[in-house]
Amino acid sequence: MRNGDDFRFAAIPPIINSLFDDIEHRILSPLSCLREFDNHWMLEFDLPLVSKKDIKVTFDEDTINVEAKLNEKYSEKQIGNVTKFEYFKKSLSLPGKIDNKKTTAKFQKGRLVIKIPKKVIGHHVKIS
Amino acid sequence: MKIAKYNTKENTLLVGFPSNGLVGTFSVSYLIHHLKMKQIGEIEIPDLPLTLFVEEGEILSPIRAYNKNNLFVIISDVPFNQYLAEEFALAINEFCKKNAIKKIVIVSGMETVNQKKDNPKIYGLVTHSTLDGLLYNNQISKFLNGSIFGTDAAIISVFRKTNIPALVLYAECHPFFPDPEASIIAIVTLAKILDVKIDTRDIENKIDKLRIQYRNLMKETVQTLQQQQEKKTRTPQIYR
Repeated sequence: MRNGDDFRFAAIPPIINSLFDDIEHRILSPLSCLREFDNHWMLEFDLPLVSKKDIKVTFDEDTINVEAKLNEKYSEKQIGNVTKFEYFKKSLSLPGKIDNKKTTAKFQKGRLVIKIPKKVIGHHVKIS
Repeated sequence: MKIAKYNTKENTLLVGFPSNGLVGTFSVSYLIHHLKMKQIGEIEIPDLPLTLFVEEGEILSPIRAYNKNNLFVIISDVPFNQYLAEEFALAINEFCKKNAIKKIVIVSGMETVNQKKDNPKIYGLVTHSTLDGLLYNNQISKFLNGSIFGTDAAIISVFRKTNIPALVLYAECHPFFPDPEASIIAIVTLAKILDVKIDTRDIENKIDKLRIQYRNLMKETVQTLQQQQEKKTRTPQIYR
């Protein structure tokens, strides 16, 4: 921690990048979380520095792809090199059959929330 | 109801570590910076995997102690699993004994029940009724029902058996994403409790960048917390 004029945090973020940012193409990997409910999945992406109009969400069978352009370049220094990131991008495989047509999304406070209904496949069991 | 006046002059320890929303990490490190606190030492935990941080050529321990006047701070840059959390709690207790600490304040986050809320709330849990007045005087809602696990629980378990009272502040936050916005609520509350003036504009201006910068620590923290939560029976959460 240093007490210079610029505000800096005393806490140190890990140097090792476990999120696999694509430095060559200036793409950040966003945090995401998937929660399972009885009838649907709730998938969230943390997309700070992004506007709704710059987000693209696509499905490819059981995979969901999210891409977003940052409002401004985000600079990060890693082991002496400064990279100016311009995009978020992530693809996730969903653990089950999904109903693409009923999927909805909303974007609030830099968080993209996608509600994905589960596809019901199977046969009724007659109860005697 | 008789409310005892809180003495801001007695030695107080503030503790922050990675937890839900990284609320403790953001708020405690912000206070260290703004109060211009000096590092006075490092906290060693025997079983902690050897980790050192290098910042501009300076080697730093992941768990450090700071001081200014009657305020002491312990901050950890690494999350703890169940076993390390117990060791961390015992190390804090030792620190308290050596520095004549009269009370400790822990800052953490709790999952927001309704994530549409514009103004996250803050709740307080005290180990000793002597700190009830602190909640009342600062208009902090008492944490009445719920379960606690992880490092918070380890610290509470240790201190409820001692004569040093502990207050845990829980700011409502997003549990899986860094939440500097929730941390601002914690900073404002801490400033009132500690009777210090803190300008939060710096963190307000950096909210978005902090959310990007601290992604890896958040991911590591959630993975650690989920290992601790394995035995719980709530809806499984998958973090990717």
